[in-house]
Amino acid sequence: MKPYISLWLLLAIALAAVVGMELVACPIEIFGVELQKSTFVDVLSTEPAATCNLPVEATTLPDEPMPEATKPIEPDTMPKSILFIGDSMLEGLSPRLAAYAKHNGHRLNSVIWYSSTTEVWGECDKLAGFVKKFHPDYVVVCLGANELFVRDIITKRAHYVDNILNQIDTIPYVWIGPPNWKKDTGINQLIASKTKPGTFFLSDGMHFDRAKDGAHPTRRSAELWMDSVASWVTLHSAHPIKLAKPAPGTARATSVTVLQPKK
Amino acid sequence: MTTFIDNILHQLAFDPANPMLFSCGLFWVLFLVFLPVYAMLKHRRTQMMIFVLAFSLYFYYKSSGLFFMLLVCTSLCDWLLSHAIARSHSRRNRRLLMWLSITISLSVLGYFKYANFIVWNWCAIVGSNFQPLDIILPVGISFYTFQSISYVVDVYKHRIEPTHSWLEYAFYLSFFPQLVAGPIVRADYFLPQLRDNRSASREMVYSGLWLVIVGIVKKAIIADYIAQYNDLVFSNPGGYGGFETLMGILGYTMQIYCDFSGYSDMAIGIALILGFRLSDNFRLPYQSQNITEFWRRWHISLSSWLRDYIYIPLGGNRHGRTRTYINNLATMLLGGLWHGAAWKFVFWGGMHGVGLMVHKAMKPRLDRLPDTWLTRAASRALTMVFVSLLWVFFRADSFGDAATIIGCAFTGFDASHIVPFIAERGTWCVMMAVIIALHTLRLEWLESAKQWFVRAPWAVKLLIFVVLSISNHSF
Repeated sequence: MKPYISLWLLLAIALAAVVGMELVACPIEIFGVELQKSTFVDVLSTEPAATCNLPVEATTLPDEPMPEATKPIEPDTMPKSILFIGDSMLEGLSPRLAAYAKHNGHRLNSVIWYSSTTEVWGECDKLAGFVKKFHPDYVVVCLGANELFVRDIITKRAHYVDNILNQIDTIPYVWIGPPNWKKDTGINQLIASKTKPGTFFLSDGMHFDRAKDGAHPTRRSAELWMDSVASWVTLHSAHPIKLAKPAPGTARATSVTVLQPKK
Repeated sequence: MTTFIDNILHQLAFDPANPMLFSCGLFWVLFLVFLPVYAMLKHRRTQMMIFVLAFSLYFYYKSSGLFFMLLVCTSLCDWLLSHAIARSHSRRNRRLLMWLSITISLSVLGYFKYANFIVWNWCAIVGSNFQPLDIILPVGISFYTFQSISYVVDVYKHRIEPTHSWLEYAFYLSFFPQLVAGPIVRADYFLPQLRDNRSASREMVYSGLWLVIVGIVKKAIIADYIAQYNDLVFSNPGGYGGFETLMGILGYTMQIYCDFSGYSDMAIGIALILGFRLSDNFRLPYQSQNITEFWRRWHISLSSWLRDYIYIPLGGNRHGRTRTYINNLATMLLGGLWHGAAWKFVFWGGMHGVGLMVHKAMKPRLDRLPDTWLTRAASRALTMVFVSLLWVFFRADSFGDAATIIGCAFTGFDASHIVPFIAERGTWCVMMAVIIALHTLRLEWLESAKQWFVRAPWAVKLLIFVVLSISNHSF
């Protein structure tokens, strides 16, 4: 019995430490490494279908009338230099977009920043650096999957989204929303409210076959996802470009830059 | 308050996207509730067995939903048939009952795991459209089916007596630490421990905790981290340079070891905490100097099961050299198929079978080589290359992808990529270095580290576990 008591105490204190760390509002760093927090409290206290209080007119979710700018516009058929940035979802999306780029005469430079969020990209000027490096005339962003369950996301992340869009500046862009596997706490509405009409592709509500982790679409599913995005870009986005559908499969991007998760 | 309770109930319910693993927080919260009750009931054997069985079935429900009923039915069926075998005095009837039990177990496994594979192949042969059947594979069915078969065969061969009660057998078959990913536990090793029902000593409890810690480091920290880069390479075959692809292959070789052996370590550790010893499942397999040794160190519970219940019944090495080779190959082909319902797994198993055959054939000559560090290093390197290349077929989505990846690794090599690769993927390289360094150690040193942990003051253990728990979230 005695070893069990001491083991139980050990496990209980470890659990308390992890939960306690989550309750501390400010980020905790050890030797310059920011510690990730658990989601115990979040999971237990968040309303299952929580929504944020954005003004209705600020959102462009698909069940609402399509704004003028998203009605079909003639696509720009010139070859583009596309910069594709985002989180690990690019693993599945980027090779398929590369196939589109190859088929349609575009160049594609992808930057995968693992575990990145709007906060990670928004608090630094890396995106501006990549814009300067690759001189893209079209930017595709896929971010939001790592912050589906952040509480008070509007107040916490709005200025980071603003900063990302400021770094894109006047370059035509498309923001691909996260492939929700659960109801989010407002990231989709936040991005929809900040992006221009016809630039946000809402992925929530689409069906995905998921990989083992339950979050990332499988390789095949990600290809179909990219096909949907490409079709939407051509037909409904504010900045349609030539994206004729290539044969099924993937290709290699002009360059792929991989950034390690932020510490 | 309602939200809080709703969320707790939601977390406790079956969620196919979030099966309960030993590395997830929910398991440890539940284990905190489980442990004191288990400790109190430990010496009331029947009550303890009922409690652990209930927890095991709940654990299975969290991973596979209502399929836990299938586990109950399988155990009931095996138990009744095993008693019928034990009661029967006719050899013919005993054999018939044994085959009935094996057929039932394999039919269930065949339906859930291989039905679509069979239908797909049939459609390919007759040239019709393949419409997959809507079948969900219950987690861990391959593991517990093998346990159930070995139990019935052992009863038939008088190696063990059938358990007196269904409860005892169901406890063995569903014991939650090894239920979903092994190790495959033999009844003759496990049931005597259950009957003795000895208390876990302090040494056992903290050895168990040490294994859990090692398992979490391997699986949740190293494997999950290095998988990010490896997945990138395998999801875009031919999309990376030779050196990057080579690193992806090496990365996956280490990832699958850390992933699988880490989970095994956790399973063995949790069982040890509860007072049950499960046999080792991995012994630094990449230290092997030949493919035969590799299979003595890799997934030991499976390879010994295949040896005892397939290879030896097929005749083993008792019918001449050619028959031995055929038995070897057949065993490994089945072993490959056990890993998954796809030709790539069959090919993977078959190639290992060929490797074993070649090693057996070459052994007399190899034994004549001088035992120097050079021959040992060359043997290890050769074995490692062979195993790593076969892992590509195991991981890649198709034979074409595997061929592209291997081709890319050996044709597109550019040494100028090495430095930028290390600069860009520093953490990945460090983790790989750690796991490669682990393979240079001796098993005795790892045992010494465990003993040090067991003897360390409680506060040190606490500190290590807290740091690990926090790190687990940070990676």
